[in-house]
Amino acid sequence: MKLDSDRRSRSDAELLPKTESPSERDFKSVNGIGWEPKIAVRNLNFHYGKKQALFENNLDIAPNKVTAIIGPSGCGKSTHIRVYNRIYSMYRDQKAVGRVIIDGKNILDQDSDLIELRKKIGMIFQKPTPFPMSIFDNVAYGLRLHFEANKSALSDRVEEALRSAALWDEVKDILNKPGTELSGGQQQRLCIARAIAVEPEILLMDEPTSAIDPLATSKIEDLVGILKARYTIVIVTHNMQQAARISDYTAFFYEGRIIEFGKTKKIFTKPDNKQTEDYITGRFG
Amino acid sequence: MNPKPATKRKIVDKTVKMVSGLGALIGIFFLIWILYIVIQRGASSINWDFFTKLPVPPGVTGGGISNAIVGTFLMTLLASLVGIPIGLLAGVYLSEFGRYDRFGELVRFAANALMGIPSIIIGLFVYALIVLPMRHFSGWAGAAALAIIMIPVVARTTEDMLSLVPNSLREAVLALGAPRWKMTLGVIFRAAKTGLITGALLAIARVSGETAPLLFTSLNNVYWTKSLNEPTGNLTVTIFNFAMSPYEDWNRTAWGASLLITFAVLFLTLVARIIFREVKQR
Repeated sequence: MKLDSDRRSRSDAELLPKTESPSERDFKSVNGIGWEPKIAVRNLNFHYGKKQALFENNLDIAPNKVTAIIGPSGCGKSTHIRVYNRIYSMYRDQKAVGRVIIDGKNILDQDSDLIELRKKIGMIFQKPTPFPMSIFDNVAYGLRLHFEANKSALSDRVEEALRSAALWDEVKDILNKPGTELSGGQQQRLCIARAIAVEPEILLMDEPTSAIDPLATSKIEDLVGILKARYTIVIVTHNMQQAARISDYTAFFYEGRIIEFGKTKKIFTKPDNKQTEDYITGRFG
Repeated sequence: MNPKPATKRKIVDKTVKMVSGLGALIGIFFLIWILYIVIQRGASSINWDFFTKLPVPPGVTGGGISNAIVGTFLMTLLASLVGIPIGLLAGVYLSEFGRYDRFGELVRFAANALMGIPSIIIGLFVYALIVLPMRHFSGWAGAAALAIIMIPVVARTTEDMLSLVPNSLREAVLALGAPRWKMTLGVIFRAAKTGLITGALLAIARVSGETAPLLFTSLNNVYWTKSLNEPTGNLTVTIFNFAMSPYEDWNRTAWGASLLITFAVLFLTLVARIIFREVKQR
């Protein structure tokens, strides 16, 4: 443990370059509050083939807090968090340059272990993605990947995950039914259960409620509030009320750049930046 | 600007509808005609002996083509056992690993080219490769020729079926920390299962009706084949031989064999279509 934190502080020191861009000054003022980032993004640029989608992103994600990423469509919100678990590297023409430091390691390094990384970082997508198998097997999928568990231990963990995702009562009698037969909101909570079953440290949520109805949305929002005690949560949303309701910190993205970052309360009440204010008050976006 | 006259549009619309409808009608007309003739001429030969007895010399009544039925079945089975797994793996490569790379493109091109090669060429190829060195026709050679025909068909349908699985599902599996191969076998295959079965069935239907590649490889045999090392009886070459003969009994048997193979292939295709309809509905 000691060794781990040592390494972390060393790399943090290394994180602060001598010459600072304006956004890095912002970062320092934020970090001046005194927490150590769970994820530290430094000078991140992202390319889809020849088209650049992210420009010099610098961001700190606070541990065990909810960080919301807001901004108009196509501003790079999803692209940004898809770097954290390197899911973009599935596609040949997508490239990230810069540093994303998680637990002292730059995950963009060539030799970083993607399987270990993704075990540590769960992801919930815009559209629910139940696997074509039973509800039980859906949740057990990640457990079977990463753990050697006997049957009873496995079903304990599945139950626990489903309870944490507030889905257990609805599915406890139909665990053998296909996950695809659940409603959209239930499917999304199934995906949350599947992600938290392997006990990640970070949860990435990419517009998790944009494809489901308001009632199911409020269930998931409640869930996020509970889950942040155990996980660091980054949520992309284009619903500003949602960001205001559930997040502790908010980053405002515009055209691939991080325009403003700070405590959610401040961003939504007196933002420093004119663009942020215009977006939040609904003048564009 | 003057508006286009509505009458002209309506006439064009009607004409196109009629001409394309006529084309569709002609297409189905021949299918029905063939089915009708095959049933009309072949039905009388279908009886218990037809399935259980060996062919008899012309002039002798009775007899059947049990050897050819078993031979076709065995060679198709063997070809499937080899061709389907190889085709599946090639399709997996094309869809999951080599979708954008040079080698993948080369394989895709080669598969398309191989599918377009007349099957008699495949027969000749296997003749040179297996029959000549062995110095005799054999069931093995026949199965090999059929397998070679199957591989590109299965590979391309596998690729098509796997590309129907949305990338969002792949992302979800990988995001859980699954290695690519586990994602493919455990989740993507399952999602594409019915489509893959359909592809395999269509490939089986395709090769079970092949004649040309067997002429140079398994040839035919009017006796029971004791092992696939010998020339092996099969339905299509039996039809070819019997239909060309001057004997009426044999001609009748050829019609019976035609009826059998036509309906077997039709049945396989229908099953494949029904399964595939389920895929689309989901």
